[in-house]
Amino acid sequence: MLSKDLLVVGAGPAGLATAIQAAKNGVKDITVVDLNMKPGGQLFKQIHKFFGSHEHRAGIRGMDTGAAMLEEAQSLGVDIWLNSACVGFYDDKVACIEQGQPDGTKKIVFMKPKTIAICTGGQENVVRFTGWTTPGVMGAGAAQTMVNVNKVQPGKKIVMLGTGNVGLIVSYQLMQSGCDVVCLVEALPGINGYGVHASKISRAGVPIYTKHTIKEVKGNGPNGRVSEVTIVEIDPKFNHIPGTEKTFEADTVTLAAGLKPVSDLVKLQDIDLVFNGPFGGWVPVHNEKMQSTCKGIYVAGDTTGVEEANTALEEGNVAGVSIAEELGCITAAEADAKRKEIWERLDGLRMGPFGERRAAAKKEVMEQFPGVRA
Amino acid sequence: MKTYDIIVIGGGMMGTSCAYYLTQEGLKVALIERGDIAGGTVSHTDGYIGASEKQPGVDSMQGAESMKLFDEMRKTFDYDFEYATNENDDPIGFVYFCDSEFEFEKAKEQVAKNQALGIEQYAVDPYILQQLEPNCAKDLTGGMWVPKDGAVCPFRVAFGFVEEAKKTGLLDVFTRTEVLDIKQDPNTKAVQGVVTDKGEFAAPKVVNAAGCWAPFIGAMVGMEVPIEPRFGQLTVSEKTGKITQNRLALEYGYYLTKFFQDGERPIDPLVKAYNVCLNITSDITGNTVVGGCRLFRGFSIKSEYRIISAVAQRGIRYYPMLKDFNCIRSFAGIRPFSLDHLPIVSDVEEVPGFYMACGHEGDGITLGPITGKLISQYATGKPLQFELAKELAWSRWQGRDIAAYKKKEEENSKALKAVEEAYLASLEK
Repeated sequence: MLSKDLLVVGAGPAGLATAIQAAKNGVKDITVVDLNMKPGGQLFKQIHKFFGSHEHRAGIRGMDTGAAMLEEAQSLGVDIWLNSACVGFYDDKVACIEQGQPDGTKKIVFMKPKTIAICTGGQENVVRFTGWTTPGVMGAGAAQTMVNVNKVQPGKKIVMLGTGNVGLIVSYQLMQSGCDVVCLVEALPGINGYGVHASKISRAGVPIYTKHTIKEVKGNGPNGRVSEVTIVEIDPKFNHIPGTEKTFEADTVTLAAGLKPVSDLVKLQDIDLVFNGPFGGWVPVHNEKMQSTCKGIYVAGDTTGVEEANTALEEGNVAGVSIAEELGCITAAEADAKRKEIWERLDGLRMGPFGERRAAAKKEVMEQFPGVRA
Repeated sequence: MKTYDIIVIGGGMMGTSCAYYLTQEGLKVALIERGDIAGGTVSHTDGYIGASEKQPGVDSMQGAESMKLFDEMRKTFDYDFEYATNENDDPIGFVYFCDSEFEFEKAKEQVAKNQALGIEQYAVDPYILQQLEPNCAKDLTGGMWVPKDGAVCPFRVAFGFVEEAKKTGLLDVFTRTEVLDIKQDPNTKAVQGVVTDKGEFAAPKVVNAAGCWAPFIGAMVGMEVPIEPRFGQLTVSEKTGKITQNRLALEYGYYLTKFFQDGERPIDPLVKAYNVCLNITSDITGNTVVGGCRLFRGFSIKSEYRIISAVAQRGIRYYPMLKDFNCIRSFAGIRPFSLDHLPIVSDVEEVPGFYMACGHEGDGITLGPITGKLISQYATGKPLQFELAKELAWSRWQGRDIAAYKKKEEENSKALKAVEEAYLASLEK
């Protein structure tokens, strides 16, 4: 049984920020685990430049932010285990980790850390239609990883379901990689993401079908792969309108129907959860220190409600400061001052028409915090 | 207020079975469940059904009777509950492994007693054992074979009971509805209905089929119900294909520890500390499910990592090839353990109109059908399915000192805990 001061699960922006901030404030023995081969979570897929203000890394590409954070964490002596999944989380806060070995095998390791930060991010929602399990139907995030990280095209002719920012940006990146995006399909009456992204798609001549959904996918391609996609118009109650079907030849369908928080690990402990619609599902209740209701367990990033990378990163900063406080590395007054500064930036990120909704959801989750249990 | 002929409390194996057999008798039934159908013990278990895991006598007889009802159900139900059969449509049996002369002698005794009751089971020598289970360890003393035992998908059985009962038009199901109190006539104590968080229901008859939670329902009519939750945990492997040829293979110690009759098994301190005995099956999905243990953990159903290790060790003892496979999942559940090892199935003399269908420990899936059938016979005054069923009646607890049973149970529980603590202390050193 290994003992550590801090175990961070997930090496995305929230997890890396937690580890960096804790280390900067004096926490010594820190391990970050991530089941991927590369750390950085979603950041490494984000080849585009961020919006917003200077302190929020505007104009910097997500992948560059990821690389900088990784370097910083390593220079602070944070131990990062890749290809390693936290597969169990038991009583007395014992974590079971399947640790990736240099030779590609895995080893089971038990760890009893003093504090734990759960930064497991979000996962894509699936949409069910006839043929939804056909090879070639995948999440937009999977397509984004293939094209931006692994540099392979997920397919030649692609139908994208969903016109949120993920749907729009990934469509554009697929086009940049040389894929033929056949069309975008959106159930709502209007486009869901930023106009600036949507107009890039429209300018390229790709049609966006609003008030439509996918009716059926046929898998007559090689090895049963997607061969054609039928879309259909829907009424305001989302019922198919017969006779409005359109069929396209395509070999790939990507789904960008929103994300939900990954709360599997959270559910293995006595942590209170609450359902929050704008945040995508069940999230752990937490306070302004990013403490869960279970002593010693902190949460940050999309696990606490699906938002975006900068917010996740700042929440990680808050968690890192609070962990340093719990472990006695800094005083309560020092921690309060640091948190106040970070929260000002967080509040700044949750402004504007899209941000206000998230600010309200965050407030709602935090208002339900009943206190920390031993 | 909604009025019924009978109210069944609990939507698990017993409750859904009672609901089914009561509607078959033409009674109008309300099934009231705090959570969802099959949400408690039924969805935290494997689905083995058989007569062999029971003590010879009324216990094994009720198992045999229930197996007959399962055979009937699989022919009459439209709802498929995955009754495991071979190419000839026969159930695929159980094999027990004996790891010592002591265990083999005990097994032979059990076989003789059950054969006298007409239950088909055989003691087998190591040679036959290898024919039955070619992948098992080669150094075993002997075994026991029960060709008619089998398996079902537990929650599908519960859903099946509900779906088939609904066809009569006599069943109303109320899930997410918690029973808060039972209304009784102040003079005769006869039940009049139940109070729930969603309103009141009237009925002259009420069945307590609340499993591990039956003591809370019993307390509402002033009964002290001697049932306690007994913890078990299973692990699931990655896809292995067919490691076990029979539907279930167990070590004979599984049967013995259930009734606290085990001798000294030649086992590792870890296995001993968690009272782990092997039961293993290669499921229809191609995964192998390995268990199990019997411990007292209150109402907790959290998996414990040391038990996973102990189960794995016990699995490898009997199936050495298991060491090459990964565990992908583990889950735990609680069994409603009745303090004298027999379920309580009958009416209750001192509370007219109140029926008990609870306390089936690890046999609830097997005993679901016969319990529902017996309750329907009690509720309609018909003769019981088999004579010995009278021994399951609540009346056996009349005049018994429940406190003494509880004390004995606590001692057993303490003894188990002491072994576990001694083991944990040895790790510290």
